[in-house]
Amino acid sequence: MNPAFLKKIKRNDRIAAWIITIGGMAVIVSVVLILLLITKVSLPLFYSPDSQLYTSFQLPGDKTGKQVFTLGMDEYLETGYIVDSGGLVRFFNVTDGSGLDNYQFISESGSQSLVSIQRYGRLNHVLHWNDGSVTIEQVKFSPFFDENNNNLRSIQHSIERQAAFAAPATGRSEQVVARINEEDRQVRVDLLQNGTLRVSLTEEVESLFGAAELVEATHQLENTAVGQITTMILSNDGIQLYAGTNQGEILRWNLSDIETPLLEEVTQAFSDHREITALNLVFGDVSLIVGDNQGGLTTWFPVRNSDTGWKLTLIHELTGHAEPIRSVSPTPHDKSVVSFASGGVQISHMTSERFLVGIDPPEKISHYALTTRGDGMMTLTEQGQLSSWKLDIPHPEISFKTLFGKVWYEGYSEPAWAWQSSAGTDDYEPKLSLSPLIFGTLKGTFYAMLFAVPLAIFGAIYTSQFARPKFKGVVKPAVEVMAAIPTVIIGFLAALWLAPLIERSLGSMFLSLILIPAALMISIALWQAARKIEPLKRVERGFEFLAIAPVIIIAVAIAAVLGPGLENWFFAGDLKQWLFTEMGTRYDPRNCIIIAFAMGFAVIPIIFTISEDALSNVPPSLKAASLALGASRWQTVWRVILPSASPGIFAGTMIGFGRAVGETMIVLMATGNTAIMDLSIFNGMRPLSANIAVEIPEAPVDGSLYRTLFLTAVILFVMTFIVNTVAEIVRQRLRAKYGRF
Amino acid sequence: MTKMKYMNRYWRVGEPMVWLSGAALAVTLLTAIVLLAVIMMNGLGVFWPSELQELRLKDGSQVVGKLIRSEPTSDNSGLRRQYKIANRDLYGLDFRWIDEDQIVSEQTPDQLLVLERVEHGDFYGVLKGLDAGTGNALSATVDDLSEALGMVESELGQLSELEDKLKAASYRIEQIRLKTLKLDFQNVAENDPDRQKLNDEKQVFSQKFGNLVELQTKRTEKARQARAIFVAANGQESEIVLADIFQVYAPNQMSISDKVVFYLKKLAELFVGEPRESNTEGGLFPAIFGTVMLIFVMSLFSFPLGVVAAIYLREYAKDGILVRIVRIAVNNLAGIPSIVYGIFGLGFFIYGIGHGIDSFFFPERLPTPTFGTGGLLWASLTLALLTVPVVIVSTEEALGAIPREMREGSYALGSTKFQTLVRILLPMASPGIMTGLILAMARAAGEVAPLMITGVVKLAPALPIDGNFPFFHLDRKFMHLGFHIYDIGFQSPNVEAAKPMVFVTTLLLVLIVLIMSSVAIHLRNKMKKRYTFGTF
Repeated sequence: MNPAFLKKIKRNDRIAAWIITIGGMAVIVSVVLILLLITKVSLPLFYSPDSQLYTSFQLPGDKTGKQVFTLGMDEYLETGYIVDSGGLVRFFNVTDGSGLDNYQFISESGSQSLVSIQRYGRLNHVLHWNDGSVTIEQVKFSPFFDENNNNLRSIQHSIERQAAFAAPATGRSEQVVARINEEDRQVRVDLLQNGTLRVSLTEEVESLFGAAELVEATHQLENTAVGQITTMILSNDGIQLYAGTNQGEILRWNLSDIETPLLEEVTQAFSDHREITALNLVFGDVSLIVGDNQGGLTTWFPVRNSDTGWKLTLIHELTGHAEPIRSVSPTPHDKSVVSFASGGVQISHMTSERFLVGIDPPEKISHYALTTRGDGMMTLTEQGQLSSWKLDIPHPEISFKTLFGKVWYEGYSEPAWAWQSSAGTDDYEPKLSLSPLIFGTLKGTFYAMLFAVPLAIFGAIYTSQFARPKFKGVVKPAVEVMAAIPTVIIGFLAALWLAPLIERSLGSMFLSLILIPAALMISIALWQAARKIEPLKRVERGFEFLAIAPVIIIAVAIAAVLGPGLENWFFAGDLKQWLFTEMGTRYDPRNCIIIAFAMGFAVIPIIFTISEDALSNVPPSLKAASLALGASRWQTVWRVILPSASPGIFAGTMIGFGRAVGETMIVLMATGNTAIMDLSIFNGMRPLSANIAVEIPEAPVDGSLYRTLFLTAVILFVMTFIVNTVAEIVRQRLRAKYGRF
Repeated sequence: MTKMKYMNRYWRVGEPMVWLSGAALAVTLLTAIVLLAVIMMNGLGVFWPSELQELRLKDGSQVVGKLIRSEPTSDNSGLRRQYKIANRDLYGLDFRWIDEDQIVSEQTPDQLLVLERVEHGDFYGVLKGLDAGTGNALSATVDDLSEALGMVESELGQLSELEDKLKAASYRIEQIRLKTLKLDFQNVAENDPDRQKLNDEKQVFSQKFGNLVELQTKRTEKARQARAIFVAANGQESEIVLADIFQVYAPNQMSISDKVVFYLKKLAELFVGEPRESNTEGGLFPAIFGTVMLIFVMSLFSFPLGVVAAIYLREYAKDGILVRIVRIAVNNLAGIPSIVYGIFGLGFFIYGIGHGIDSFFFPERLPTPTFGTGGLLWASLTLALLTVPVVIVSTEEALGAIPREMREGSYALGSTKFQTLVRILLPMASPGIMTGLILAMARAAGEVAPLMITGVVKLAPALPIDGNFPFFHLDRKFMHLGFHIYDIGFQSPNVEAAKPMVFVTTLLLVLIVLIMSSVAIHLRNKMKKRYTFGTF
């Protein structure tokens, strides 16, 4: 033969071998790739947050000795400012510390001397002037694109006065809090020198004839606390006022009624009467952050109690400091808490109780400020060293505890497992607990398997062992074709046809659960008796399933006819109502019964086929030997064939379980998708798979929800991976044992 | 005593258990039969023009409608019937329940008409007059109406030609816009000849587009002049623009053969028509087309990979730990939930590869994604991964069924492994491979969950294939029969009115899938037999 030709075919052969091996490996690669990728996306959920020093320099400008009162910066970490005790605002460049322009705050009466500055919201400053008057000023940063400068973004800053409160006749107060809300309601609360509180309110009231009228009121606030008030905070809408005392008490007033401010409660927060040193409200103005003189950091909100009404309750204890806490503040977009003590600044997340980052430069910090995006921080040390930090806190609300454990969410009356990823308001906190979803998956799977496993295994036993070969040749392909019915169709029928049907005839359904077995037993007994008569004796075996089908149909028909009557008789005509009043379970139209039928129907074929294969592959010699020894056909199956085939049946059940766990369309359509944890068969649920399908189109890429959904995919993957791997190993053993596929 | 003994023995022998296992099989098969029967019963009758009944009720009112079903009233005192009364724009609801004891008389008058409209669903009523655009209505017969409708239809035909031209023009304008974007991105100078050329072209097409739009508005106005006046059951008159009427028929006058012809026509419309009324009426053409395209593109990927992997497992790999791992991998691929494939497709194909393609090839279009969003290609790739195990398992089975003698004979004649594979084994295994491919296609036709994430949409603006270069637009979103079912059954505002269409779609999908898998399983069984009881 031509050696060149020989060479060519040999080369082809080698190339083919390579390609084919690579093709085989590609399968492993794709499984690993899938796992790696979905894990990679979900892993950043658990990365620990990080802070990085961005710039650091000595505070610019004159060193006249005027004390710095506050500082701040824009969200791009470009322009910063400080305000000193003389009311001078100095803007500077954050990157190099070079000074920009200055601005002078002046009080209404012309004073240029400040007592204190409080920051709140989006760069709002409450300025307490020397003469007792108060102004609220907002620093505004607005980015714009400069056409002259190659369309680069630069930031303009401006200052806007929001409100001004005149000086009271009694002179300067010890402490002041003031807020102005969107409807121009102005509230100012003074802690007077004698320790009492006075509130002054101004709001626009629409009179009977539609004319707006400015109403002003001033009240002395009721105070029944034992200790001296040390700190206070007003909610941003000016309605809730909280104060802490040096005896560990928290007071809460409601200022919504301009005429009668109401002291709602005085709570002894700490039994050891430690002094409360700092108060603030978490973003959303519901939870109260409390810092005390022992460095403890806790959050509280009013919980409704049937005896005492709304009462401030300790909800979360966060990582504290070693020294007394000097101030606390919320982060601007999530439920995190910034706390400041002489040891440094810390950020913790309220709900997950996670310690996020701590900033602790070698010199002592005197002031700090967070950017409005919450991704940067600026600190000023007592020596005048100004540093800016970049914070990387991607998913503060996620921890193992919030994903799987019970969490006390803001506004809840007790800790709960909850999945609720979004809502209409900005200050909403997503609740991403996977427990109800995992529970839903397992619950749905359990009921489906309860329905499918007996039917599939017994059906397989019958088909492989008792049915005539002619039937077997029809039944097996028929069941295999059943497996091809798209689950979207099963789900749609379950939700739009079966669910209303069962809801209408719940009584009939339960009746048929009793009637079908009863009818089967009766018909079997009757047949046993009838077989003694001569012509029936010779009826051959192997037709049982055809003979029994009419019995089942008749039993169901009788149940359908009797059902409504039965419901009338025993349950006053309405079983659902009866369930609710007598058993305390609500009947959801889309519930576990529907899921059991629908998902059961979807997994029957797979369990059936694998079990049937395993049963048929048991060597016929075993069966022959058993029958020859005088065992009946059921005894042979039960004692000889089933044990030999049991690994295969187990594998089939496992694979069916895997299918049910991952099934999406049926549960998406027929469960109602409510994330509840309730074992009742009359409720729906929300399984992991349906949850992914529902939520992923709405999830912003790389956000917490997006990554959490990938995490649920990882959980699903791992669940099915274990089940399938076990099943496959069992099958490989079985194959090796019997030497056949 | 003997009776007791007899019973004991009876239970021990276990005959009842045999019967019970038979019952389990019977229940399984009965459930499947019930499922198919429900789909058939609800799906087959949808297009049948059943007659319109005119009911007089006790309160003196009149109702015209098609009987849907009747069932016992909630207090079991009698029967109540559900009628489709249509005329959504007049009554607000399409369906109405009427207690049987409220009905005084029922008739089926010949002159009752059913109008299928472009908007608001069907209209049931009687023709009162025709207004050919003059402003005053003249009384007319049904024949006059059909004549007028014919004229309007030809006008509408011209309009749709115009529409095609408009679409082509706007496509060109969009292309020019994208090219300009690219030039912008590359910082090409304003006076560059390419840019000038584009600008000129844009002017030409914009001009053309404007003219076409003007012409279209004029023609539409003209076509919409002709109106007809109908009277509904409650005596309300309704003026309907003829151009909005899709079809008119009088079901009570139709003979059986007329009805059969009508049914077949509707069936044909189902296959070639476009959907109307947020998918609850009209045809399924885009969904069928999308499904076929999806299956086709998917097969291009999953078929070669599956066959090669199976050949590796059966012919090349030496039995050992590696093969066992590959088999476990195959089984896991088959067992991973489809939604996980979907989320993988989203993370890897769309946000990974798709974004990569976008930032490399189409950076000028960002942030508008081209490939970095769901589309036919990504959905096909995702499904390909999902269906690979099906192909592998079938191909392996087919290769395994070929007797060893065939291979040995081939080697003995001096052929290499590859030659044996290509010349002997693959031809012999081809029915088995076909089985795998068909099963994979059936799976792809019915799978919905991963598609929902990777690019299927409720209503695709354009088909993935059209006359514009490069003809195949794999980045486009598409429609799919399975998703169609989910969408109209669960997302449409009027579920009751959408039900017939859901059942029709379901029936179609079930038929496609069942026929495909029956053929596949038949092929497989035939092949098994061929080699098990062959002459070897």
